[in-house]
Amino acid sequence: MSTARLTQAPRSARQLPARSSLRSINLSGLTNSPSSRVVVLTITLGAVAIAIFQLLLHIATSSSVYELSHLQTEKRELSTTTQILGQQVDSLASQQNLANAAQKLGMISNANPVFLRLEDQKVFGKPKAALTADGRVSRNLVPNSAMTLSSVIVAPETTPATELAAAGSAPQAAAFVPVKGNVANGSTAIGSVVSNSGGIPASPTH
Amino acid sequence: MTYLTPGDPKRRIRKIQAFVVIVAIIFGIRLVDLQIVEADAINAKSYANRAVSRVLPSLRGQIVDNEGKVLARTDFKYDINAAPDIVAPFSRKVNGQEILVSKEQAAGEIAVLTGQTPADVLMKISGTGKYSQVAKAVDASIYRQIKKLDIPWLFYDPRPARTYPSGAVAGGILGFLDPDGLPLEGIELAQNACLAGKDGEETFEKGVDGIKIPSSAITTKAAVPGKKIVLTINADLQYFAQQVLTANVAKLQADWGTAVVIEVKTGKILAAADAPSYDPNEPGKSSVENRGSRVFRTSFEPGSTMKMVTAATAIDQGKVTPETHFIAPFAMTIPHSNGYRVSDSHVHGNDKLTVAGVLRDSSNTGAMQIGNLVPWQVRRSYMEKFGVGSMPGSGFPGESAGLLNTKTTWANDVIKRYVSTFGQGVSVTPLQSAMMYQAVANKGIRLQPKLIEGCVDASGNMTKVTKDKAPVRVVTEATAKSTLDILEKVVEEGGIGKHAAVPGYRVGGKTGTAQITDPNTGRYGNLHAISFIGVAPIEDPQYVVAVTAYKSRTVSNSLGATPIFKAIMSQVLRTYRVAPSTTKSADIKTQW
Repeated sequence: MSTARLTQAPRSARQLPARSSLRSINLSGLTNSPSSRVVVLTITLGAVAIAIFQLLLHIATSSSVYELSHLQTEKRELSTTTQILGQQVDSLASQQNLANAAQKLGMISNANPVFLRLEDQKVFGKPKAALTADGRVSRNLVPNSAMTLSSVIVAPETTPATELAAAGSAPQAAAFVPVKGNVANGSTAIGSVVSNSGGIPASPTH
Repeated sequence: MTYLTPGDPKRRIRKIQAFVVIVAIIFGIRLVDLQIVEADAINAKSYANRAVSRVLPSLRGQIVDNEGKVLARTDFKYDINAAPDIVAPFSRKVNGQEILVSKEQAAGEIAVLTGQTPADVLMKISGTGKYSQVAKAVDASIYRQIKKLDIPWLFYDPRPARTYPSGAVAGGILGFLDPDGLPLEGIELAQNACLAGKDGEETFEKGVDGIKIPSSAITTKAAVPGKKIVLTINADLQYFAQQVLTANVAKLQADWGTAVVIEVKTGKILAAADAPSYDPNEPGKSSVENRGSRVFRTSFEPGSTMKMVTAATAIDQGKVTPETHFIAPFAMTIPHSNGYRVSDSHVHGNDKLTVAGVLRDSSNTGAMQIGNLVPWQVRRSYMEKFGVGSMPGSGFPGESAGLLNTKTTWANDVIKRYVSTFGQGVSVTPLQSAMMYQAVANKGIRLQPKLIEGCVDASGNMTKVTKDKAPVRVVTEATAKSTLDILEKVVEEGGIGKHAAVPGYRVGGKTGTAQITDPNTGRYGNLHAISFIGVAPIEDPQYVVAVTAYKSRTVSNSLGATPIFKAIMSQVLRTYRVAPSTTKSADIKTQW
């Protein structure tokens, strides 16, 4: 645009006789015209608008990245929690722990089972008290070094039977408390989660 | 405004225009080259300068029992590492106030959680190195507590760790991994293709100080966890069998013992107990020979439990019935054997026994006579059909086929032919013994023993992992029934067999007191492999239990095995709520 204007020199300049090799040019065309101002303004505003839009987009993206990062961290934490709880459940559900806990509650596996046939109510076998030690394996013989948590029985506070009767509640005899330990080495350290209560575990249904 | 300028301004302007256009074109081409053509390569080069890749370890699949109880699982443990060159005091917000935590104080906090001394930890985090391991493979709960300390110069690397939550329950079956996570034994080894996952890869960007830029991690390859193996084993029953077996093997002062529980109609192995058992969490604490499972691998001469095969063969060939008469002397000389003499375990006269009586009293001389009624080639082929000398195909690695001598050997060795009628000169594993009884309990059809249900993917789809073997018709259904009737007489009337009776149920079985060859002398020694294999309930057989105690020292006959059988069979019948028997045993005479 400015170049075009330079090529159109004013007539008065071309009529100078003494200095024929020199030509005059009029730079008045370089001054701002209203139309060029509009163009410049449009370009400037456009550039500013793009910059602002880009900034907003960047802020929104950054926010999403932080949210994603937060969710990923949360997912990792939850996975770790799941792992810890899974290990605790498996440890408490191990046969060794259940057998120990059952025995501590006074539950004894009877080595002499007796069967009752319902159709004629006939009893098969000779009933013997479960306390008979004959044929019964009374302790864990199957080692488990992964049993880092085990149930122990916590003795309840003694409550007089009359008070219990008045309160209309059954005596609370004992509670399972997971304890850190190892069947193999017998070491223990108290844990923190109470898993059940009641002297003899019974179904909560009625 | 007018300026005077030399020359032709139009021409000059055109030159400038041309120059500008050329420069613009050059820059434009270069711009396109950089931004489009070489963009990926340049980006990759730039990213490589600041990115670090690391392996994302995959989790190995679980091994579960037939009710889904987890017997083996893989979790992450964590290595706690530090970069000593950036270890420095740091600030921590406590109750809204910033406090400065010194290096020594941080070392003390770490030491309490990792069970080390503060001096140990301080030594590990001091220096100018870029890497120092503060604690190796700590549990997730410890890792979480350490992470809560919010120490900026600690880094955590997860590493998979295999755990067997039930310890030695089915330990011999499960196997174990080496410290690098490679399978060495048992199902872990045999089913590695199913259990092993595929490691992934993560890339993250590091700053000038070499520290990971938060939120820069990109998982370039996701880790694929391994699949799950479902066993046929019932873990509770397995625990019970191991408890009873371990207690009795100790009482008997035996070298080892085995107990197998088979579901008759499917061939599924519900329990395969070994004593001594071993804890796969700590395989190094057990001797090498106790780390596998003898149920599948150790073959030995079974002794009298093989008499069931002899009787079933003769009945199936129509040579005898359960009541066919024999005179069983205390001892007999094998014909054409240069005087090789076979005797019974206890002194007696010429007993007038039926086939049922021969098995009831476990007479070797009677069994030889029954077996001799069938051509040895035919009898040997029945042994093959009963599974002697062939791989059971349970899916356990390294299982033994036992030993059945070749036809040539039998043709040239009359003693081997005769003694095989009462379980000498052949060898079988405890599993093979159990499957012989499964065949007669299953109307004469021997099934493939099944230890693995299959491999289960994340969607719950199960695929088979063992090659199917076709069921083998060993004897007719009628022969199988007659054989079961005979086995029931062993428990009803046998001096030792009656100790295996389970009140309320019709039980059949056979005792076995096998001599063991002394490797030093090559002759039979004084110790025995005592066994009892039984089936219940006889009217509709559901389960086979096979028990063996090897080199029992306190009891030298099957009287040492019957209490184990009785305890385990009782538990099996209770576990699976088998209704007590309502029918009576067959009226078969055992003597005449």
